[in-house]
Amino acid sequence: MDPQKFSTTRRNFLTTASAGGLVLAHPARATVATAKAPEARGRSVAHAPHPALEIAPVPAPAPSARRPESAGAETAGGDRRFASDYMVDCLKALDLTTISEIPGSTFAALQESIIHAAGRAGSDISMLTVTHEEIGVAFAHGYAKASGKIAAALVHSTVGLQHASMAIYNAWCDRAPVVTLAGSLTNPVARDGFVDWLHSVSDGPGLTRDFTKFDETPRSLPHFASSLTRAYRMAATPPCGPVVLALDLDLQEEEIPAGTRLPPVAKPVIIPPQGEAAALLEAAKILAGAKAPVILVDRAARTPQGLALMVELAELLQAAVVDMGGRMNFPWRHPLNQTSRRGAALREADVVLALEVQDMAGQTAPARKARKLSISTYDYYLKANYQAFEELAQPELAIAGDAEASLPTLIAALRSAIPAAGRTAIADRGARLAAASAAALVASRDAAAVGWDRQPITTARMYAEVYDQIRDKDWALLNAGHFQSFWGPQLWNAKHYYQYIGDSGAYGLGYLPGAAVGAAYACKAEGRLPIVFGGDGDFMMTPGALWTAAFHQIPLLYIIHNNGGYHQEKMKVQLQANERDRGVTTASTGCVLPGLDYAVIARGMGVAGQRVTDPADLRGAIKRALDVVSRGEPALIDVVSQGR
Amino acid sequence: MTFRLLLAAALAVIPGPVMARSQAGDAPGGAEFKAYGCAACHGTTGAGGGWQGPRLAPAPLPYAAFLAQLREPASKMPRYSEKVLPEETVRLIYGYLQSIGPGKRAADIGMLNH
Repeated sequence: MDPQKFSTTRRNFLTTASAGGLVLAHPARATVATAKAPEARGRSVAHAPHPALEIAPVPAPAPSARRPESAGAETAGGDRRFASDYMVDCLKALDLTTISEIPGSTFAALQESIIHAAGRAGSDISMLTVTHEEIGVAFAHGYAKASGKIAAALVHSTVGLQHASMAIYNAWCDRAPVVTLAGSLTNPVARDGFVDWLHSVSDGPGLTRDFTKFDETPRSLPHFASSLTRAYRMAATPPCGPVVLALDLDLQEEEIPAGTRLPPVAKPVIIPPQGEAAALLEAAKILAGAKAPVILVDRAARTPQGLALMVELAELLQAAVVDMGGRMNFPWRHPLNQTSRRGAALREADVVLALEVQDMAGQTAPARKARKLSISTYDYYLKANYQAFEELAQPELAIAGDAEASLPTLIAALRSAIPAAGRTAIADRGARLAAASAAALVASRDAAAVGWDRQPITTARMYAEVYDQIRDKDWALLNAGHFQSFWGPQLWNAKHYYQYIGDSGAYGLGYLPGAAVGAAYACKAEGRLPIVFGGDGDFMMTPGALWTAAFHQIPLLYIIHNNGGYHQEKMKVQLQANERDRGVTTASTGCVLPGLDYAVIARGMGVAGQRVTDPADLRGAIKRALDVVSRGEPALIDVVSQGR
Repeated sequence: MTFRLLLAAALAVIPGPVMARSQAGDAPGGAEFKAYGCAACHGTTGAGGGWQGPRLAPAPLPYAAFLAQLREPASKMPRYSEKVLPEETVRLIYGYLQSIGPGKRAADIGMLNH
């Protein structure tokens, strides 16, 4: 094909929009741009909570709550306008203004437009540089959970999306809204040399289609506007999840003639699906008659309101709450929180209400005699290839719906269903659970004291020492701690929704550094103290995330749980060796990471780093690190620790 | 430049790697407890807990039960045959676990009582 001829025909992206479209013009009033140097440090941006993720299920918000439509006609005086400028306008209209990127030539035009827009006075766009696409998507993942807002991750065509794929899978498993924008070169004529061919794919998002809610490769700007809006709505509507758009470079580069009408973009209002009312009424009846109800929660609370509803439900029923830790579902020291005695609570249960529990079959297995009820969006959106849907559970009532959105109806029905005669028994049940919870806390503390002064440092002491110095601050814990025996939920006291964000989702390594920095960026806007305990093996997958924290001045206390390698795998190889009657003493081969000094690695990236081997030195090291963090910088402590 | 100055100030208060303080060597059997993988699941102090093996110390199981669990384990614990772990070594390891004292009580550790 004749390239010249083709370049004319590809202008069909300027499809005429509806009469309501924007007219691009050259306004007389020039906007003075305060351009930032490329080397400038990242800046803090105060983000308001994301209304789309915090909308009460009913009633629907008034139209006035909607954000103004995109100002696609924004131009500095005399500026030429390009398709990628319009794309940025669309991103702004959807509040997709926090953007992680590692440069890739397939989105160079969009990157230039973001830089141009960010340099304008009053701009709320923040572009943060990362060192790996997996970190970029994890950044957006952590940011979404900590802020309630969606971030975008820019990745380079084939190789970038390949790098990002694991992080996208994490977001899929964790039901986290993440918008990934991949550069693209689907048009062979637009490819410039052999590298472009290597970095081209006809259907780029096909790579991650098994674990995204939506993907598309828009062919025109109106198509882009609808595609991005749909992607946003799909990502933000429970069950939330990742979406991918591939953006062709030649589309990004097109110049938009003055006077061209392009469609406006308005941020959609997200209304989560509620469970069917009659089914919720039936569930309320069953719960009201229960002698030992257990509420099992995983990714149930999506917002602070969800946490409050969870407490209201539990207290109304005086039910045991067992928290799987997918989100901040329930206050850690609430007397009804029975997470530390999960097995006993489930064995006692006669009714289990599972709220957004991914592995319901496995997690409710101890409750052999219980009637099982479920409210979940897990039945709404599943795919067949990756098995993240877990073993089939067959509860008596499987109510398809968002748990948080369904709770007001369930609670109202429960208030009517609980007989007056049963209130004394319910109160007695609560008292018994409070006593059990208090006993569990004593047991946790007793267990934490074991080996207190020994080396390697126990994970319990690591958590206790940090908490001792931050408990009166406005802290947020950014990891679940399953590799550290869950000492956080056992010894700390999280009460607020923002104080805990769950875990990776897919149980893979490499999530935490990027997600922690993304979440810490959200914490920075709120003036909170973010803390993360991450494994050494996990850190070595994506250590470059720390550089992003240093470069963009994102305060974060990063504790490395340095147990010398891939401890869980070491145990599994040892199991194999034992079963085969050979090589137990060498079974750790291939599972250890000797000779690494994470404090030195941190310092090499501009992060204040310390290494601690003696528990007596923890206190001073933590104080010094917190001093650094209080000045707006990240700090890392490499704690040479026990395996778990 | 501002960043570098801030960073230099931050790093100035951070000492180099902290050297481990010397502590009493393990009792006999401690090396075997680690070498044969017991410490991987139960911790170097036999504390256990969490998603790993149960606590072994202080006050381990009676020896007969301890040996039986090694040879035909309940739950997910690896099986230690006589070939893999001779009983002579089992006794050494058991002796090590018996030597581990109770240590501090939680009630006496202020930061565990917030």
